Amino acid sequence: MTAIHGEHADSAILAARNRENVMVGGEIVRHRRASRWIHWSVATTFILALITGMPIWTPIFRWMANLVGGLEVARVIHPYVSVAFFIVSVMQFFHWASDMKFTPDERGWWRPSKLWAYMRYEDDPAVEGGKYNGGQKFFFYSVTLGALAFLVSGLIMWFPLGFSPIVRELSILVHDLVFILFLIAIIFHVYLGTIAEPGTLRSMMRGTVTRSWARLHHPGWFRQVTKS
Amino acid sequence: MTVQALDVKRSSASVWGSGTGIRQQTAVAKYIDTTTCIGCKACEAACQEWNDLKRVPTTQTGTYQTLPELDAEFWNLIKFREQEVEGTLNWLMRKDQCMHCAEPGCLEACPAPGAIVQYANGIVDVDPEKCIGCKYCATGCPFEVPKFHPQTGKMAKCTLCVDRVGVGLEPACIKACPTGCLNFGTKDDMLTLAKNRVTRLQADGFKEAMVYDPQGVGGTNVVTVLKFNRPEWYELPADPHVPWGVKLWKKVMRPLGVLAAAAAVVGVFAHYTQYGPKEVPGSEGDDEARRRDERMTP
Repeated sequence: MTAIHGEHADSAILAARNRENVMVGGEIVRHRRASRWIHWSVATTFILALITGMPIWTPIFRWMANLVGGLEVARVIHPYVSVAFFIVSVMQFFHWASDMKFTPDERGWWRPSKLWAYMRYEDDPAVEGGKYNGGQKFFFYSVTLGALAFLVSGLIMWFPLGFSPIVRELSILVHDLVFILFLIAIIFHVYLGTIAEPGTLRSMMRGTVTRSWARLHHPGWFRQVTKS
Repeated sequence: MTVQALDVKRSSASVWGSGTGIRQQTAVAKYIDTTTCIGCKACEAACQEWNDLKRVPTTQTGTYQTLPELDAEFWNLIKFREQEVEGTLNWLMRKDQCMHCAEPGCLEACPAPGAIVQYANGIVDVDPEKCIGCKYCATGCPFEVPKFHPQTGKMAKCTLCVDRVGVGLEPACIKACPTGCLNFGTKDDMLTLAKNRVTRLQADGFKEAMVYDPQGVGGTNVVTVLKFNRPEWYELPADPHVPWGVKLWKKVMRPLGVLAAAAAVVGVFAHYTQYGPKEVPGSEGDDEARRRDERMTP
């Protein structure tokens, strides 16, 4: 049984190179290779921007600058990795946008009460959902908008001398606020994607999920995939 | 550079930025009397010479002014303005340089530890070795003083000749002034001098004469006597403050952001200990779910 499962898993990984939303043996391909590479490009550039930006933000995180060779190095590379982050974020947006259309019953997912209910595992049986749930879609649009706000405010902070003081101050505040929201969101995103929901990380690593995982987290998507 | 003879009172981007010095060092100040300035620019030349700055060619702006504004290689600039007052032309001259604020906006905004220091005697100085060239100080300064030097990638400005003051000499500009419109001493002495000068000016008919020592930045270690109660005529802000955006950013957003991030980490931990992971059901659950699927599939 285990051996067969292993074989299935291997063929599933092969299938995950360029196909998505298909059943291969016991597993379902959730993220093909291109999706995973885009996700990890966004993640890598974001983390680089984080460890080069946070020591500039407050001396509490000054130690992070040591990871890149000091505060001055951090200041030099932060804008470049951040522009790279924006570019891959735009690619990510167009890559995933078609999967991210809100259905009418997902409109309320931005509400804290909905998030709270989700975190208490009080799933609404009436909502089947598609490949992504309303919270994931809300997160998707938020990070794309956030990346845009980061870019605009960041460019002003990078080349401040042509702008009036009020514009410079506002851009610093916007950059700060978006960063704080991002930081909180990323903490939850990493938590949900790893230890909180076992079986999720592998969908972003090898591309596949188990049938039971799909049935538990995305029943609507599971039904679509297994029907075809 | 930090000067050994001087204690540091405040240092940029330091969580505990208060002074550690035990020496009794009184605040010093430059005294500038704009009413006796003759616009000779000896102070400009002395500043360039003492600080080993290059000779900057004049940029013609239609006035006597050397440059339109301060520069990373030009820290002391006489500003010339022509102001018509009640039908009389007044040729106003003011020596522009770092004001050495008691509450420096540049230091507040600076993210590089120790790149901007305030000495116990009130001098605000940039340490180029620690400066990362982010230009936040330019946003923090209400006087538009710190300037970016593109070749070094550092900010530069008047040091109040900290290297001279630290060994008991007056700043180079003061030493060069031929009319006595510049003076140097303790802040208290310079304020007294300025007040006496204003009293004299008012007695002479300049009723609007004032001392410019703006309290919005806690006072400055440059005390300026103005003939008219209109700082903007001298290209000085009437009521300078550390920008509200910089204060909001450093004093409110930053601590709240750190707390929010910490709260998110605690929240995630609390969630895991309370609710644990959302496990995928085992084979038993799988079978049950499959039966349910089959029932629901037409």
